[in-house]
Order: sequence, then C-alpha cells, then structure tokens
Amino acid sequence: MNVIPQLILNSIIAGSIYSLIAISFSLIYNVTKFFNLAHGVLAIIGGYTVFYFAQILNWNIYIAITFGIVFAGFIGLILDKIIYLPLRRRKASNMILLVASLGIMTALQALLSILFTNEFRTLSRNINEQKIFQLLNGSLTQTQVIIIFVAILITIFIVLLLFKTQFGKAIRAISDDDEVAKIVGINTDKIISYVFFLGSAIAGIAGILMGFDIGIEPTMGLNLLLKGIVAVIIGGIGNVYGSVLGAFVLGFAENFSMWKIAGEWKDAVAFILLIIFLLFKPRGIMNK
Amino acid sequence: MDYLINISILFSIYAILGLSLNLLVGYGGLLSISHAAFYGIGAYTTAILLTKTNFGFLSSVILGALLAGIISLLIGLVLSKFKGDYYALVSLGFNIIIFSIFLNWQSLTKGPFGIAGIPKPELLGVDFSDHFSFLILVLIFLALIYFISSFIVNSSFGRVLKAIREDEVAISVFGYNTFYFKLIIFIIAAMIASIAGSLYAVYISFIDPSSFQVTESVFILAIIILGGLANLRGSILGALFLIFLPELLRFIGFPLEIAAQMRQVIYGLILVLLMIYKPQGLIGEYKF
Repeated sequence: MNVIPQLILNSIIAGSIYSLIAISFSLIYNVTKFFNLAHGVLAIIGGYTVFYFAQILNWNIYIAITFGIVFAGFIGLILDKIIYLPLRRRKASNMILLVASLGIMTALQALLSILFTNEFRTLSRNINEQKIFQLLNGSLTQTQVIIIFVAILITIFIVLLLFKTQFGKAIRAISDDDEVAKIVGINTDKIISYVFFLGSAIAGIAGILMGFDIGIEPTMGLNLLLKGIVAVIIGGIGNVYGSVLGAFVLGFAENFSMWKIAGEWKDAVAFILLIIFLLFKPRGIMNK
Repeated sequence: MDYLINISILFSIYAILGLSLNLLVGYGGLLSISHAAFYGIGAYTTAILLTKTNFGFLSSVILGALLAGIISLLIGLVLSKFKGDYYALVSLGFNIIIFSIFLNWQSLTKGPFGIAGIPKPELLGVDFSDHFSFLILVLIFLALIYFISSFIVNSSFGRVLKAIREDEVAISVFGYNTFYFKLIIFIIAAMIASIAGSLYAVYISFIDPSSFQVTESVFILAIIILGGLANLRGSILGALFLIFLPELLRFIGFPLEIAAQMRQVIYGLILVLLMIYKPQGLIGEYKF
C-alpha cells in the first residue's frame, strides 16, 4: 500500500493545528516580546472546559465549545492583567517574564491534573460514527476536515484583522516600537490585553480541536506550545505567513520522519529542526 | 523517624541539584531549563550499570558524570550561540530531546516501564543499604559538592564568570575568552547534576523517564530562584523550603496523588510571586 497520500494528509492536519498555535503565540509575542510558556496550557484549558460542559454537565456541544473558546481567552486576559502587565510596567526583563510564565504553566497544568486527573480525555462521544472522507487514496475524519477549514479561516481572519483594521494597525505599531506607539496616542496596555484575549482564545480553539481529534491530557500543553514556537521561529518571527509556513514545514518534517523512524521521536525531530534553523538560518524562512 | 530520614535524603539530593544549577544560572547568568536531563543521565547510567553489569556504585557515579560531561560539552557548544531567552528555549528543547531518548530507547532504558531493582550502594567496603547510613552518604556528597562549588565561585574563574554575567563585552575586551568560561561552567553543572542522579537512582531503586521531565527542571530552577541566585547558601535554603513545606500538605490530609500535584501548584505560584515581588529570591545576589 502506498503510504505517501496518508502521510501528506496527516502532515496537513498537524500543520493546521500547529499553525493555530503558532499564529496565536506570535500575536502575543509580537506585542510583548517574551516567550510566554503558559500559552500552551490555555489551549488545553479550552479543551477541558468543553469536556466539562459537554460531557460532565451534558450541555449542548455548540454552547460548550463557545464557552471553551471564551474561557481560554478570558484566562489569558486575566493572566495579563494580574501578572504580565505589572511586570511590564516595572520594565522587567524578558527573562523574568519567561520565568513567571513558566511558573504559571506549572501551576495551571497541575491544577488541571487535580480537577480532571491525568487520564486521556476525548471530546467526541461517538468516535466510530464519524464520517470518513476519502481523498487522494488517503482518509480523513470529519473532525480533521473541520480542523483544516478552521485553520484556514483563522489565518484569513488574522491577516484581515492585522492589515485591514484600525486595531490591527495598532498591534503592528506596538510590535514595531511600543514606546513610539504610546507617544502617538495608542493605549498600548489596552491593545495588549485584547491581544491576550484573542491569542488565548485561538489557542483554546486549537486545544478543543485536538480534543475532538486525538484527545487531550493536562501535560500536553507545553509540547503543543513548543511546536508552535518552533513553527514561528522556522517561519520567521513577526511574520504571519511565516508562522503558517513554519507550521506546515514542521508538520511535514514530523510526519515524513515517521516514515523512516518510529513515531515516538516526533518531539526530538521538532527540536532538532529548531536547532538547525537557529544555527544556520536564525531569522527564519520569510525574514531577510 | 524513617519518614524524616527519607525527606532529608530527598532534600540533600535537591540541594546538590540546586547548588550545581546555581553555578550556571546564578553565577553564570545562563538561564538553563535542562538540568533534569543531566540528572537523568546520571540516574540512568547508574541504574543500567548496576542492574546489567558488575560495575560498583562509585565507578557508575564516575562514568555517569563523564557521560554527562561529554553530552553537556556537545550541548554547550550549541548553546554557546545563544543568549538570554533563546538560551533558555534551546536548553528546554534539549531537555525534551534527552527525555525522549529515555522514553524511546527501549532496549537500553526499558522506556516508560522504567528500571527496577537497582541495588543499594556499597562503597569502599561499607554497606549503605539502610536509610540512615545512606543519609550519611548523601550528606557527605552534599558537603563535598558545597565545598567544590564555593571553591569554584571564590576562585578567579568564578570572579571572571560573574564579570561575564554583568558585562560580557567589557570582559572580552580585557582578553578573556568568554566562550570557554560559559562552556566549562555548563559542563561542571551538568556533571554535578549527574552525581545527584546516581544517588537518586540507588536510593529510590526504581527510575522511569517521568522523573526527568521539563517540570523537574523547572522545580530545580524554583529552588534556586527562591533561595537566591548567586548565593550557595540560598540553594540549600531553597531546597529546604521546597522539599519540606509541601510535605506539610500531607499532614493537613491531602491524599498522596493530589499532594504531588499541589506541590507543583505551590512551586509554580512561588515562581510567579517571586518574579513579581522579589526576583532576587530570599538571599540572592543577582536577578535576571
């Protein structure tokens, strides 16, 4: 049997999830300039919120999903207000911000374990009843088709937001130089807090989609985020198209490496790719 | 009583880990999130040598430290290209790569099942199989390593290292090759961490990859940041706090499983609070 078509499809699905994390991470990175290591846990929080409302309380699934997305965004907003904003006001170095986010990640991840145990949870109740689509000699589940469409829609949405709206202009001004942005009258703290909400909500979407596709567990967040960061760096920091491109490069690299070596080495492959890029092309594919 | 001895042994092992990481992060100013990887290299080397060959404990400690030295030399060469938060990110990547080697090189490490039945150590004809005599052994190691560490930081090497941390450009103008200083301290820290790993392996007599994850590196980082960077007594103090305080949770009546997670919540929160209110820790002499 020819495995290449299925490998291509798997790479596209992985690339779609990574691009959601990469885009949302780099939105926040561009306005704050630090590695927010708590970002991945917010994705998982989104997933568990849906799990809680849809499977424990038996609410309507669409309402649960909306709740999950908003709740992830809300947590991101709160973290900015009570932790990152005070640190930024004090002009804390980005190492301090990184360590603080590391602490948040550890605490939230353990909190999820306490609330939901470390068991693997899946959000789709009828996994065997899912429609299977055949494409190019490979197959895709209904969830996976949705993942690809959502990734495309979010990318278009972010590009339009950044380049066609006042809000996007403000974001780009802050990523260029937040001091100058402040001088010309942009309320940077307010814009940054909106960006935290938006970025965290998109991370939540990624976590929810993963929950429907392969399932989630509390400790997944860091690895997911690191994939997003790898994608952002491969593509070129600060470039939306770069992040998406990087995500797909990573998706393809991981899945095609599985052709030759066992799948468990995926994480190692991602980091070796990162190190190679940082050493030889540190500004990424898209940046000159 | 046995319980108190048990906690004291764990405290000593973490104090050794803290001392060695403080050499790197506190005195060298290099934020590494990979310490658990070298800790694991020591633990696995000792576990494999003692269960599969006729090597004695002491030679397994030495071989583990040498292996950690070689691997840290290679990793340190890559890390020398990076600074600040990129250094932290890439070191974290190496932790994940080494963790996935522990997890996936099943013929050597038995993967997720771990290695059981690691014999208690015998050293120079003395048997350290009961907990009290093992505590004495660990304390001897701790005292030795404290002595070596304070020798390093008070030597001219240590002074140059601190100067590099404060102003690398200035110190290289004076003709010091800063590259070697940063590489050597990375190797020393890794080798000491490996010794702590060897002690841990023979004490617990069972190891699996989960003890050497990124969260463990974060825990060691929390120890030295809480105690205080660039202060050796701070690392002892930090280990004292973070090992003994969470034990109180067990007395309040949390079940074992939750207590372990609560420990993570606590040190995560401690990291965040320290970053906001006291980034130099309790008695630290350096902050990021």
